Amino acid sequence: MGRDASLKQHEFESEALVHLDTLYNVALRLTGNAPDAEDLVQDTVTKAYRAWDKYQPGTNCRAWLVTIMRNTFINQFRRKRKQPSRVQFDSVEDVSVFDEVQERDPAGSFFRSIVDDDVKRAIQELPEEFRIPVVLSDVEGLSYAEIAEILELPVGTVKSRLFRGRRRLQKRLYEYALEMGYIR
Amino acid sequence: MTGFIRDLLGKMMPPPGGIDCGGVLAQLYEYIDEELDDPATVEKIRKHLQVCKRCYPRYDFEKAFLRFVSELGRTSAPAELRGRIFQNILEEESQN
Repeated sequence: MGRDASLKQHEFESEALVHLDTLYNVALRLTGNAPDAEDLVQDTVTKAYRAWDKYQPGTNCRAWLVTIMRNTFINQFRRKRKQPSRVQFDSVEDVSVFDEVQERDPAGSFFRSIVDDDVKRAIQELPEEFRIPVVLSDVEGLSYAEIAEILELPVGTVKSRLFRGRRRLQKRLYEYALEMGYIR
Repeated sequence: MTGFIRDLLGKMMPPPGGIDCGGVLAQLYEYIDEELDDPATVEKIRKHLQVCKRCYPRYDFEKAFLRFVSELGRTSAPAELRGRIFQNILEEESQN
């Protein structure tokens, strides 16, 4: 292996592969299952490595990688699957959980009673339009502007999807807590 | 204090921080997410939350929710996948 190749590898490892957990996490939420998520991560990393010359050092590598992942997912994975879920423009998120629990549990301590598998399932059950912004923001800590760029949406749309996605997620978690008798 | 008197007082007195509850709630997520561009607005909301008995619990609840999601929503990449990816990159180079 030449010196350039070894340098490229070193750069790629220290700038891109440090985001492997993020990539896996987003892949899991996009595909909904571990084997497809692993394939999607592998395809994304391979593409990113081949395109490494096009990456501008010092720019946002994580957002660049997630963008490649999203495009790969749209091109390859979605074809195999059914049509993406249509957002139901119903009003589930109109009533906030806080309004329902503020007397009994204003600090939201019922959240603590929910096990992580249920949290992940609740996230997965969100329609994709809400799920991906919520994962990128609330699990991965990306900014509105980064999410807007990755998803090719206006920042205002990201904000409203986050708002509605969070409300839906709260509602689902609240329902789990009720079902399990953690809150009455 | 009855709701009527509280509402009346609310109308007479300037809201804490110079921003009313509706304004705070509408921007609460942006405030928590540190996405508000205007430092003056951030300061108004911060002051409002310090004293408002209605908005503070709401803020507290949303913070608890977001902390919870960030802690429990994450899955680490399996070690085996990590190994395979490093291996792939080595192979990718040796083919060139």
